Amino acid sequence: MLFPTIDFGLFFAFSFLLVWGLNPHNTAKKLVLLALSLAFYASWNWRFTLLLLASGAISYLVGLYVDASAQRPFRRVALGLGVALDLAILGYFKYLDFFIAQALNLAHMFGLDLPLGFVNVTLPVAISFLTFHAISYVVDVYRGRLAASRSPLDVVLYVSFFPHLVAGPIVRAHEFLPQLASPRRAGDFSFGENMLLILGGLFKKMVIANYLAVRFVDPVFTDPSQFSRFDLIMAVYAYAIQIYADFSAYTDIAIGVAALLGYRFPQNFNQPYRALGIGDFWRRWHMTLSRWLRDYLYIPLGGNRYGALATARNLMLTMVLGGLWHGANWTFLIWGALHGSALVVDHAWRRSAAFARWGQGPVARVVDWALTFNFVCLAWLFFRAPSLDAVGQFLSGVWTDNGAASTMPAVVLPLIACGALTQIAPARARAAIGVVLDNRGALAQAAFGFVLLYAIVVMAPAASAPFIYFQF
Amino acid sequence: MAEPRAKPPSSTSPWAWLRVLFAVLALSVFAFPGGMVDWLDERNASGWLSAPLAFARGVDAASAAVGVKGAGEALRRWFAAAIGDADA
Repeated sequence: MLFPTIDFGLFFAFSFLLVWGLNPHNTAKKLVLLALSLAFYASWNWRFTLLLLASGAISYLVGLYVDASAQRPFRRVALGLGVALDLAILGYFKYLDFFIAQALNLAHMFGLDLPLGFVNVTLPVAISFLTFHAISYVVDVYRGRLAASRSPLDVVLYVSFFPHLVAGPIVRAHEFLPQLASPRRAGDFSFGENMLLILGGLFKKMVIANYLAVRFVDPVFTDPSQFSRFDLIMAVYAYAIQIYADFSAYTDIAIGVAALLGYRFPQNFNQPYRALGIGDFWRRWHMTLSRWLRDYLYIPLGGNRYGALATARNLMLTMVLGGLWHGANWTFLIWGALHGSALVVDHAWRRSAAFARWGQGPVARVVDWALTFNFVCLAWLFFRAPSLDAVGQFLSGVWTDNGAASTMPAVVLPLIACGALTQIAPARARAAIGVVLDNRGALAQAAFGFVLLYAIVVMAPAASAPFIYFQF
Repeated sequence: MAEPRAKPPSSTSPWAWLRVLFAVLALSVFAFPGGMVDWLDERNASGWLSAPLAFARGVDAASAAVGVKGAGEALRRWFAAAIGDADA
């Protein structure tokens, strides 16, 4: 049950009625929200709802033990075991076959015959996001940033809350759990702004991302040898816009849906293709993942506290593991390593005397932007290609031109321009329009919402591509 | 000091939100009824959705009778042709 479907539209309308109807009765409302979240997850595979419940139960129990105020012995060991258990679940479902394949390849190189077989297990939807939420809870409790919840319902609801369940944003425990303490007030949220967020997300996904994927990017990446150099290069830029439109659409809708149910999620994107430098890019792209990696991986590794070499090592490790989090494939690992290397260079450059002297003028800023944007696009090639062989084939086509004429559909350039517009539109525009909408009557709001939705349905292609981050 | 401006009822009441959301959904179903009919039809193998399916078909017929359904389909075809999308 994905967001831009009739299934979800009906599910949300039903959820909205129940949740606000039960709002004065907070425990009953949370029970219903949990039931709705389990039903949402069960729409893919009901068996994995047990995994969801188990993950929440483990987090709850470990949280009770490691609570910073409890002064129990071996708190650190208990935390380590809890995190290891979460990672073991992720490792089993997501990485075991990958590591078995690498071990078999290595053994084959040395002429050995290892008695290993693939487990061929079905990957549960959203397992990576589930793990991040579970780890966030126990670590926040251990650090004393949050008191251990006495309510197992709250903890299980935190890890399984359906708006963030499938593709984020990654809501840290201390941001969400306090919101479960009392009934919500609709007046704390702007209806107009959140309606715009949801409709804007539908436009980005159903029009920009779907057209780019179906009409151009997917065919090019399926067989790069059939396309000209120009098409191959444009496909990389088109993918940059597609993945932004696709992923930011999902999280925009998630943030809007959560707000309409009375819960606040953190922002996940802030015009990332305007970034000046890779460090800036990661402060704007998938911001909740960046913050999670910083708080729960980079800083525990030592952050920038032990000199330049250790900082570089920590940045590389964080980004390589961040890359591998996206999937068990060498392409993701190299994507992470590319970003890690760029962050090391960026970190050193911005602390250098040369940057202080030459790095901040208008020309330097344009060069900074162009280098950052093109580097990010180049790295997307590794992210999108199904294998390293496919990357080689793609780059070989860019070098030789494949002897093909350009077949890029005319619609691609306007779509890229549309995507670029989302990067330069004033950041406060949505909030301002939201306030205007909030001050209009229900009739004007309904008319506005309907006209936008009608336009989206008119423009959307018949075929659609799955959400990219759905697979993670 | 200026008094804080009271928010209008439409932005503070979830029931006002609900009216708007349901109105948008209902209007969308009336504008493009084919999607809802197909959706119900696909899930009606055992016949338990016969009543809502009959209702959706009624909406479909009403929408077609007043030309709303035809206008939506024509607009989709026009847009697809304008951008060269033969599959739409």
